[in-house]
Amino acid sequence: MMEDQEEKGNAENGIGRQKQVKDEYLLQFLDSLDGYLTLLDSLSSTLSQGWLELASARHAMGASRINGALLDLKVHAAATSLKVSEQDVDSMESQPCFTLCKWASSDNGERSSGEEKSLSPQLRHRNNSQLSGIISSPVSFSHFFNFFLSCEEEKVSTRTGTPLILVDQQQRQKSLSVFGVLVSPKLRSAQLSFERALETLVEIANLHTTMLSMFEQVHKELENTNG
Amino acid sequence: MANRPQIRTAASALIAMIADEDTVVGFLLAGVGNVDLRRKTNYLIVDSKTTIKQIEDAFKEFTSREDIAIVLISQYVANRIRFLVDSHNKPIPAILEIPSKDHPYDPAQDSVLSRVKNLVSVESVASDRR
Repeated sequence: MMEDQEEKGNAENGIGRQKQVKDEYLLQFLDSLDGYLTLLDSLSSTLSQGWLELASARHAMGASRINGALLDLKVHAAATSLKVSEQDVDSMESQPCFTLCKWASSDNGERSSGEEKSLSPQLRHRNNSQLSGIISSPVSFSHFFNFFLSCEEEKVSTRTGTPLILVDQQQRQKSLSVFGVLVSPKLRSAQLSFERALETLVEIANLHTTMLSMFEQVHKELENTNG
Repeated sequence: MANRPQIRTAASALIAMIADEDTVVGFLLAGVGNVDLRRKTNYLIVDSKTTIKQIEDAFKEFTSREDIAIVLISQYVANRIRFLVDSHNKPIPAILEIPSKDHPYDPAQDSVLSRVKNLVSVESVASDRR
């Protein structure tokens, strides 16, 4: 009698634990689903802003200066890419985890990304007469900007990471230069909006894989319950 | 740990796009454009003249390339090749349906969300019968 009651208690505990696990999977699935929908809503807003800014830039610069025909078809690597790593869900399953790597410099086939390379900066030294000549010229701002960029060209990365901001600016400028040297500020704003959209998309991709993984777990649990 | 499905990891993977011109141009401004030595791009601009076969070929190519980790596809384009999109069940590349300028995002048409909805409706019918 006592043994029967003990076995019954153990069975009830087992069922309770199973239910707890099922509830946990279900909660994680619903949580990831909620996050997915929220981020998609955010993405829609960010993309709408980007399209509007692109349309404004097209209005300012002319339709012939911003269209698909101008896209660079020369061989080049993507400046913004993804790092895919494996994330353990449990002992039997793993899922991919995406990390966005923005504006990695790809000069001479070497990619730099702050956290990976730690080369010392190689700043070209210019003498004072060159610098004063540039600053005193009538079109000084654009010349100074180009001089500034050229000084930073050879800085790849440092341990502090500060020069990477300037490498980012150079890569952004390179991306914009497809549409000409002088571009509308709206085009720059559009670029930033689409960069934000990319960040949101990578978060969505991670939630997407989590959601699919949890969905499979819940589906399995439901089948076990019904079977 | 035995029989665990292998995840394809990569240090530098690409984002592919099948979308309208403005969306593709915008993301190319953000630096995701890639042209390889064979002059193959990681994007397809879809317009009124793009055929379903071209979209299908691009989708199949992007999902079979090992250097692509995410495929962005406008939802209205995905609807044109819905069978192909729904039949993709690998974790990589991840297929993300995005809104376009002229077609807002509809959760009811999303591949993953409609799968979830089907499961919930099947389960509710099954539990009613019980």
